[in-house]
Amino acid sequence: VNRPESEREPAEPAAGRKGAADRLLREPLLQFLVAGALLFGGYALLRPEVFGRNASRRIELTPDDLRQIFVAWLAQGRPAPTLDEMRSLVEQKVREEILYREALALGLDQGDTIVKRRLAQKMEFLFEDLSDLREPTSAELEAWFREHSERFALPPRATFRHLYFSPDRRGGRARDDASRALEKLAGEPADAPAAALLADPFMFQDYYGDRPFQQVAASFGPRFAEALFRLAPGSWQGPIESGYGWHLVFVDSITPSRTPAFEEVEAEVRSEWVAARREEVKRKALEEMKARYEIVLPADLMAGWPAAANPAQAAADG
Amino acid sequence: VIRHSVCVVSIGVALQLGLVADASAKKADPTKMTCEEYLSLSESERPVAAAFLEGWNKGKKHVDIGEVGLDRDVTTLIVSCQETPKESLWRRFEKHVPVLKKHVKPIEMECEDFVGLESDIQPELYYFLDGYDRATRTQTDVAGEVDLEQDYRAFVQVCKQAPKESLWAKIKAHFGKKQRRPVMRSELRSKTLEGIASAALGLVAAAAAAQAAGPDRRAYFGETHVHTSWSLDAFAIGNTITNPGDAYRYFKGEPIKHPLGYDVKIDTPLDWAGVTDHSEYAGVVNLANEPGSAVSKLPEAQPLILKARTKEEMERVALYAINTLAAGPPVKALMSPAIAGEVWKRNVALADEANEPGKFTAFCSYEWTSMPNNMNLHRNLFFKDCAKVPPQPFSALDSFDPVDLWSWMDGQRKAGNELLAISHNANLSDGRMFPTEVDIKGRPIDAAYAESRVRNERLTEIKQLKGTSETHPLLSPNDEFASYEIMSILLGDPPGRIAHIVGSYARQALKDGLAMQDAEGFNPYKFGFGAASDSHNTAVPYRADNFFGGHSFTDGTIEARMSGTLVGGMFDARTESTAGLTGVWAEENTRPSIFDAMQRRETFGVSGPHIQVRFFGGWEYTPDMLAAREWVATGYAKGVPMGSDLPPAEGKAPTFMVWAVKDPTSGNLDRIQIVKGWSKSGQSFEKIYDVVWAGDRKADKWTGVVPPIGSTVDVEKATYTNTIGAVELKTVWTDPEFDPSLHAFYYARVLEIPTPRWTTIQAAKLGVAPPDVVPATIQERAWSSPIWYTPSAEARKGAKPGTTVEDLKKQGAVALSDAQLKALIEQKSVWLQNKVTGEKFMIIYGALGKGADAKPLVPAEPGWVTQRFPAGQGQFQVRWVGRNAAMQSLVGDAFEASHFGTSRTYNIANGKIVTELVGAPIEIAVYKLGDKYLGARSNEFGYANYEIVPAEVELSPLSAAPKVAPK
Repeated sequence: VNRPESEREPAEPAAGRKGAADRLLREPLLQFLVAGALLFGGYALLRPEVFGRNASRRIELTPDDLRQIFVAWLAQGRPAPTLDEMRSLVEQKVREEILYREALALGLDQGDTIVKRRLAQKMEFLFEDLSDLREPTSAELEAWFREHSERFALPPRATFRHLYFSPDRRGGRARDDASRALEKLAGEPADAPAAALLADPFMFQDYYGDRPFQQVAASFGPRFAEALFRLAPGSWQGPIESGYGWHLVFVDSITPSRTPAFEEVEAEVRSEWVAARREEVKRKALEEMKARYEIVLPADLMAGWPAAANPAQAAADG
Repeated sequence: VIRHSVCVVSIGVALQLGLVADASAKKADPTKMTCEEYLSLSESERPVAAAFLEGWNKGKKHVDIGEVGLDRDVTTLIVSCQETPKESLWRRFEKHVPVLKKHVKPIEMECEDFVGLESDIQPELYYFLDGYDRATRTQTDVAGEVDLEQDYRAFVQVCKQAPKESLWAKIKAHFGKKQRRPVMRSELRSKTLEGIASAALGLVAAAAAAQAAGPDRRAYFGETHVHTSWSLDAFAIGNTITNPGDAYRYFKGEPIKHPLGYDVKIDTPLDWAGVTDHSEYAGVVNLANEPGSAVSKLPEAQPLILKARTKEEMERVALYAINTLAAGPPVKALMSPAIAGEVWKRNVALADEANEPGKFTAFCSYEWTSMPNNMNLHRNLFFKDCAKVPPQPFSALDSFDPVDLWSWMDGQRKAGNELLAISHNANLSDGRMFPTEVDIKGRPIDAAYAESRVRNERLTEIKQLKGTSETHPLLSPNDEFASYEIMSILLGDPPGRIAHIVGSYARQALKDGLAMQDAEGFNPYKFGFGAASDSHNTAVPYRADNFFGGHSFTDGTIEARMSGTLVGGMFDARTESTAGLTGVWAEENTRPSIFDAMQRRETFGVSGPHIQVRFFGGWEYTPDMLAAREWVATGYAKGVPMGSDLPPAEGKAPTFMVWAVKDPTSGNLDRIQIVKGWSKSGQSFEKIYDVVWAGDRKADKWTGVVPPIGSTVDVEKATYTNTIGAVELKTVWTDPEFDPSLHAFYYARVLEIPTPRWTTIQAAKLGVAPPDVVPATIQERAWSSPIWYTPSAEARKGAKPGTTVEDLKKQGAVALSDAQLKALIEQKSVWLQNKVTGEKFMIIYGALGKGADAKPLVPAEPGWVTQRFPAGQGQFQVRWVGRNAAMQSLVGDAFEASHFGTSRTYNIANGKIVTELVGAPIEIAVYKLGDKYLGARSNEFGYANYEIVPAEVELSPLSAAPKVAPK
């Protein structure tokens, strides 16, 4: 895409008319229209036969077209095409061009859902590219980060040791056994020698260092994680139930969730900013285009259909 | 790293600098550091210390210096170190797979090349060479102290003095002057010693402590098959917004939008994933860079479009598009690099963006969507390194022939781009995923086909939304758990076609592979297992209690699903399954580590829950070993993990250590089974052993079968409890029926206790009856990749040779003609013996239709018609087969036929008795040798295994029964 040079400059603080012009230039729809016109116009000039229903009866492949065919062939990791292969590729190309023009002449592209959707999707891709036109400044990112800092919150983390009481070995007694063991561990330190003897061997680790909430939830089940992160550090506590059975837990430390400094997450902020801007550009462009249409609908959208549950409800049910 | 200005300093001064530095405080031996000490190093020192260790490691293994990776990312080492602060850094390091961004060949470098390196990677190379040099100079395990900053600075000065000298020569001189103890292997320097080095490596490796510890591998769960709006079919059925970036967000645990607009969130986030949009349509969805040219090409799609343009027909249109694009003449215009390459680039960029080594791995991947004649031959392709992917994927438009795909993959690999393929939905392949005779173009399956397939197709996906491809009840009639989420259809629902079962399931392919290895000398079917989703929603439903379908509006509401909407006209939405996942045993959560795990098939499939399963095969495992805390290390040290070949036989029978732990958010475990397959004289067999189970159930004394665990499911309320079943199951199992002369494979299958199927849960929500087209409860499960046993040439001699058709002909046997066959079997009850198993049984061959009624009965009711079949066709019935008889492949359910009296049809044509199993023809030729009649079945690779024998009067003589229970 040929982009106006001015679009590549980082945004300067707006002032007077220059500022207004900058803002205007940053309007997604204008960007879209300008770039689109350039592309479309340029293409129409280069390949006039493609446009309009009065396409000419001449099909010409230029050396550039041949190069494209050649490169497409090579790109699939094959050795260079032989003359025969090249002839057949060219023949396919010509055949395609003929079918395409005849199809256009017959209006086969009209009123077709698939074609409509593809074109609509291409428009969306076009918007996306346009939204990539400008790099954000650091100040801009920081301001945006402050508005959306909750998105970048670092998860709480816990460092803990645990004793496992296995239902495989103890059946229904696992919980009571754990409670009794806890009595013996009152006031004992994390590495009390007696601790391991009271419990069963665990399939994975006995000590988990600095684990984020999500990882504890994946390893033990979410209910265990929720209970664990509510515990005060410094003593044996429990019993807590996991997806595997009952546990006594000694929490060394819990680092609560916190909002990072901007510098820590600048790269993430940048990619989130880009994604948000993409959405914004798409939304605005669509809104502005929509404003140019009059949309006429029946008054009652549901008239004549049996009432269906709304999808959100269906999902909750599902 | 501080950059020193160039100045004239003599070598002597430089050395002096070095000596001064040695006296400074910052010295340590990295091979003796603890993780804690390593973490206390500065950010610039960490990669340097890692580089030293790598050099030391390579030197100690006597491996050629070769290419050295630099600019390392030590995040994963740091993360793994944080977990075990007291452990030795060296142990952590050995298990860590570095992420290296730049590669150099030090042997070929000159000093000025070194000086010219970026200042932050210079020290990495220096300390790598330091480590290597020290390792090769000393025979002890003591590296000595290293100054991670000063040594290097001194050397840079030295090197600047002699820009044209060899870096390696200079560095050795430099180290030498530092007065290290010289040792015997001081000149063990690369190229010249490759041969010796590899021999030495074997000796050293055997003794190394690292070997005894074994690799430290964890289970990482990931998705290998999902579509976003960038796949045309997904887009066409209404998934128009979300892209691969959204898919990765979903897998990491963020809620995203279902195509119908509501939020969906994963239950347990994944460790890794690869989005696999259809390569065939990638080009169609993006022309942003050249909108004019792309628009111009669009009407190419015209011939694909159906006349129907109503919303109801949309998905049918999409399917038609897929069929035609994949099966019909390729529409090359849509595949120009400018178009397809652009979307592929975006895909790669999004994978790179989502990839967080140590936390979440995102692969560069795509789906090759070949489906000639509606036969699903799809494969998902995974690349090891996104930096090396081709400009454009090889699509089904380039060729629908898997053989061409494999040769393209070979080419990529040769060019340094590691990649592998995962076949999927063998169950929808119409029997063509696992051919045994000819390939898709009619060429015979041969050794070259087998090698190419095994080299490229490392895994197969055995469960996903559209059903299970492990096995089918008609192929495994003695497997009571075979009827699990079966779906037997053809994509696109071609009218008048019935999908073939034979050739569509993985277990049968593994068995056929053994028979082919035995009879023909090659095995095309040595693959590992994985499972996935094939969701077209970007988001994926893995759990029965959070099932939102996989196909946009066709199954996106509870009403659409539960009213049995025919998705794409192909299948009842209620028969759709939850999505599966692939577990890999890998050192760490990075692309190279997980890719390597898939490459060595150390993978397992799960039906949805994150069940973990380990499976080791060897010759000397004992219960004591399994009971010990370091049993996993023993597993690796004394045998092989899932996906491998058993080492050469050392004992009477192979032993297996198998272990499974439940998903903490799902049902308890019922049992672990080992599925064994083996082959003899062209026939293949399977047997399922219950090896460890929950509770105090007793295995049947005679068959070893463990009774069902029962059920806690309340179907009406759709609930269950974990009051039955086990959290963890493990055992050591020895094959009680091992024959060292026969090829075999073994894999583990883990079953959960019964839980409500998603349809039962949603029926309860709606207050309607659970659907009668699917079971109300299921047993979620996990499948380990197989371990293969290959007999040595010596052991093969112990096998009793079977009789081949070739042998018979040499002995003068003559094939019977149609008329002779008719005379031999029609309206007769023929007693046969399977010469391989020794089993005897009877087949009743009814009258072949004459276009009129069959022979009138005497003495009564001559008008009663016994059969009325078209000309040339009759029915046959197998009699007197017991439930536990050893049955060869592809005979259907012979016990059921025998017991219930069911029949199938046969005819006689071209000198063969022609039968079929769900449409797959199985033909029997009969040869007369003297007064003997011998039969050869067409699926037994040239063997004539059946002989007509005299009628039996006693089916199971007591004199022949074993006196002691086998179990």
